[in-house]
Amino acid sequence: MSEAGRRFISANRRVREDRRFVAGHGRFVADLEMPEMAHVALVAAQAPAARIVSIDGSEALAMPGVIAVIDGAELAGAVNPMMNGLDTPNVKRFPLAVGQNRYAGEWIAAVVAESRALAEDAAEKVRVETEPLGYVVDVEEALEPGATPVHPEHGSNLLLDRTFDWGPVEEDFAAAEDRLSLRVTWGRNSTVPIETFGVIAKWHAWEGVLDVWASIQMPKYADQIARALKIPGNAVRVHYDVDVGGSYGVKRGIKQTVLCGYLARKLGRPVRLIEDRLENMRAGDAHGPERIFDIEVAFDRDGTVRSMKMRALDNAGAYAGRAPFQLGKPIGAIVGPYRIGSVQYRAMSVTTNKTVQEAVRGFGQSPTNYAIETMMDRVAEHLGMDRIEIRRRNFIRKEEFPYEIPSGSKYDSGDYHTVVDKVLASADYEALVAERDRLRAEGLCAGIGIASCLEPSGGRSSFEPLLNEKNKTSTWMEGSRVNIDGLGDVTVAIHTTSSGQGHETLAATVVGEVLEIDPDRIRVVRPDSLGSLPGNSPVGSRMAIMLGGAAANAAKDVKRQMLAIAGQMLGVSAEQLRYESGTIHGPAGQSVSWDEVVDVAHRRFDDLPPGTQPGLTASFMQQVPGDARLPENGKGEMYPCYSFEFHLILMVFDPVLARPEIRRYVIGHDCGTVINPHIVKGMTLGGIAHGIGAALLEEFAYDAEGQLMTQSFLDYLMPSAHEVPEVEIVHHCTPSPLTEFGQKGSGESGYLGAPAAISGAIHDAVRPWGVHLDKLPIRMSTVSDAIAAAEEQGKGYR
Amino acid sequence: MKMELKGSEEIAASREALWEGLNDPAVLTKCIPGCKEMVETGPDAYEVKLQLKVAAVGGSFDGKVRLHDKEEPVHCRITISGGGSLGTGNGTAEFRIEETGPGTSRLDYEGTGEIGGLVAGVGQRVLGSVAKHLTKQFFTALRKHFAESGEAAA
Repeated sequence: MSEAGRRFISANRRVREDRRFVAGHGRFVADLEMPEMAHVALVAAQAPAARIVSIDGSEALAMPGVIAVIDGAELAGAVNPMMNGLDTPNVKRFPLAVGQNRYAGEWIAAVVAESRALAEDAAEKVRVETEPLGYVVDVEEALEPGATPVHPEHGSNLLLDRTFDWGPVEEDFAAAEDRLSLRVTWGRNSTVPIETFGVIAKWHAWEGVLDVWASIQMPKYADQIARALKIPGNAVRVHYDVDVGGSYGVKRGIKQTVLCGYLARKLGRPVRLIEDRLENMRAGDAHGPERIFDIEVAFDRDGTVRSMKMRALDNAGAYAGRAPFQLGKPIGAIVGPYRIGSVQYRAMSVTTNKTVQEAVRGFGQSPTNYAIETMMDRVAEHLGMDRIEIRRRNFIRKEEFPYEIPSGSKYDSGDYHTVVDKVLASADYEALVAERDRLRAEGLCAGIGIASCLEPSGGRSSFEPLLNEKNKTSTWMEGSRVNIDGLGDVTVAIHTTSSGQGHETLAATVVGEVLEIDPDRIRVVRPDSLGSLPGNSPVGSRMAIMLGGAAANAAKDVKRQMLAIAGQMLGVSAEQLRYESGTIHGPAGQSVSWDEVVDVAHRRFDDLPPGTQPGLTASFMQQVPGDARLPENGKGEMYPCYSFEFHLILMVFDPVLARPEIRRYVIGHDCGTVINPHIVKGMTLGGIAHGIGAALLEEFAYDAEGQLMTQSFLDYLMPSAHEVPEVEIVHHCTPSPLTEFGQKGSGESGYLGAPAAISGAIHDAVRPWGVHLDKLPIRMSTVSDAIAAAEEQGKGYR
Repeated sequence: MKMELKGSEEIAASREALWEGLNDPAVLTKCIPGCKEMVETGPDAYEVKLQLKVAAVGGSFDGKVRLHDKEEPVHCRITISGGGSLGTGNGTAEFRIEETGPGTSRLDYEGTGEIGGLVAGVGQRVLGSVAKHLTKQFFTALRKHFAESGEAAA
C-alpha cells in the first residue's frame, strides 16, 4: 500500500490497453469491414483562393466503379454549416468549399467509388474551372486596411480582438524599476498522428439512425453531426469502441463525418473516408496555433516581475475552427507559476488563406508558456541574474495556495521551489554546469535550458463564455456507470473513445481502489453514444480528474448500497459496519460476504432494505470541481487544477555544422496523485518528443504564393529516436485538494515546457555571440547563419 | 512557388529548320516529355495534354499555350497556363535563335513561372532538378528529331 493507504492507485501496474496494442489487436477504423462499403477520395483546390466557376464530374462518373461525385454547392444545400464557437455568423464553413476555396488543398469535391484506389483515380478526372482571387498568408498583412478578406461577407480578417486588463497594469508599470519588450513567434505545427483521420458512416433507413465509427477525440461529437445533418440527436449513434491511433487534440473530424454522413444517406451504403497523408496534412484542418507574441514586462532590479502586457496575434487559417479559443485557455495560467501582480492580455485571431487550425495538445498553452519563459530568460539576461534564481524569486510559494491569479483562476496547490530543488539535486546541477563549460572549451556550442510552467487541467470550457458572451457553458461533465452483475463481477462503463490516454486502466484502477478489489478483475466497456451517459471526451487534460471522479463516485454509490444490504442482513446500521476487500464486517465479529450481498441485490427483493433498488448499479455525473460561476468582466476561473513541470536540459551542437544533440533531459513533474505511473510517464515522454518537434523541426511552412511546402514527412520533419534523448523524470506529489484522490491532469505534460527549455538552451549556447532567435522552430541553419553573421560583425569569442 | 529556367543549347539544324520545328505541333508532341497531345486551337494558340511524374507524384497537366511577338525565324515569346491533378502552372518564356554555322544554331531560352498545388507542395525540393532533367530530355529528343530528318533528307 502507498502512503495514503492506497492499494492500486499510484501502484506499478501495467496499462491494460497496452496488451492489445502490443499484440497488434487494436481495433481501428481501417480494421472495420462492412458489406457494400463505398470509399471517398477528395478533389483538392490548387490555389490559395479561387472562385469555383464549374465542377464537371462527368468524366469521373463514366469510369468503372465510380458511384458519385458531389461538390460543395450540393452539400451546402443539404446540411447546416459546421458549428462555430464565436459569434461570427458570416464566417461559414462546410465540409467542401462553397463558391470559392480559401486555402490551397481545401476539399472542393468528393468522389465515391467501390474502392479508395478507384476513387483516387477518378478524383483526378474531375474537371474544376476556377478564377484566381486575391489571398493573404501573413497574419500582419491580413490585418492591414485594404487586405483581401478571406471571408468577404465578414468584412475583415479579424475574428477576435479582445483586450483584458487585470490591473492595475499601468500603475505597476509606473512603479517598476525597469522594463523591456520582446517579440517571439510560435511557428505553425501540430500533432501529426500515425493514423490519419478515418470515419465510416452508415445510414440505417429502417431505424432512422446514422451509425458512425470514427477515430475521434471530440467533445459533443454526436450533437454536432446531428445538428449539421439536420437529424435528431438520437438519430446519431457513435460507436466508442474504436481505437484511435493517436490524436493529441486534432482528431475532431466534424467535416469528414458530416460529408460521409450525407453521402451514406444519399447513397444508402456505408461510406468510408480514410485520409491519406496529403489530405490529412493540408486539409484535415488539423494545424496548430501560429502565434506572434509581443510582450512588455515591468520588473524591479532584484528580479521581481511586477506586471506584463502580452499581445498574442494568432493566424487562425481560413475558417474560425477552434483557433480563437486556443487564445482563451492560456488565460487560466497567464502568469505561469509566477507572482506577477497584474496583466494586460490582448488576444487577436485573424483569418488567412492557410489551412484551418484545430485543437492541439495544451490548447494554446505551450506557445504561451514559451513566450512567458523566454520573457523570464530575457529579464534574467538583462539584469545579469541567474535564470533559476529569477524563477525562484518569482514563484508562488507553497503556503500561498490556493492562489488567485490576476485573471481570476485559483491555482489549487503546488510546491514549485521543492520540485526545482529536487531536479537540481537529481541532475547534479553543478556537474551539469561543469559539463557545459567543458564542452564549450572543446569549441562546441553548449547551453543549459530551463523552463518552469503549469498544466491547467480539468476545465469547464470557460474560455467559451469568456470569448463569446452568448455562450453560457459552465459545466463540462463526465459520466460513468458501475454495475455488479448477478455473478458478482464488476463492469465499469466509460463513454468516449480513447486515443492513447489509458482510460480503461484509469477507470478500473479507481473502481478497484474504492471497492478494494483487483482492477484486473474489472471489465471496462464503452457503450455507443445512445447508450452512454453525457460526457465531454478526453480534452483539456481532464480525464483523470473527471472520469476518475465519476467512476470512483459511482463505485462509492455501489459500495454504499452493499453496506445498506449487509446492515439489513445483520440487523445493524450501516455506520456500524466495516468494509474490507469486498467483505462486510459487523461490530460483533459477524460478516457478510460479497457473494451474499450480490445474491440479495439480484434475487431477493424481500431482503433489500427500504429505499434500496435491486441490481447493484450506480451512475455518477461528475461536475468540474472548483468555482463554476461564469466569467464576469473578463475575469473568472478557467481551470480547477494545476500541474507543475520544471525542465532542465543540456544541449550541444557544433557552431558550424549545428546538428543539435540533447545530452541531458531532466524533468520535474508534479501532477498530484498519479493514478498509473506508466500512463503519466508515457504522456510526459511523448509530450517532450512533441516539444522537441515544435522547437526544432516541425512546421507547416507556406511560400509567399500560399502553397503549403511541407505536406509530407519528406518536408514536415518529425522527431525520431535519433532526436529524442533519454528523459529522466523526477516526481513530486502535491495533491489537489479539489479532486477525488488528489489527482491533477497530465495529458499535456512535457509538451508544455519542452519548446521553451530547448529555446533557452540554444540561447545559452549562443550567448557569447549575443544572438536572439525569436521564432520556433529554430532551424539549425538559422543558428549557424546567426553565428556567422555575428562573427562577421566582430562579435563572439572565437 | 516561383521557378526560373534559363539555358543555351547547340542544335544541328539551320535557323529556319529549328524555327519550323519549334512551331510544329507534331515535332513538339514528339519531343516534350510526357506530351500526349498538342492541338492547334487558333493562330499561335495550342492546347497541350501532358502526363508527368515528379518526385513522388504523377498525374496530368492540361495547358493552354500562346505564342507572341514572333520575329521569324529568330525570336518568340510563349505564355503557358494550365492545371491538372499534378497542380497548376503559369509562366512566360522566350527564346532566341542564332545561327552559329552552316546547319547549326544556338537556342537561348529564359523563362519564369509559378507552380501551385500538389507538385509545389510535394515536389518542391526536386522541382528545380526535375525541370532541368525534363528540359534535357526535350533537347535530346529535338536533336534526335533533326538527326533523323537530316538522314531522311540525305
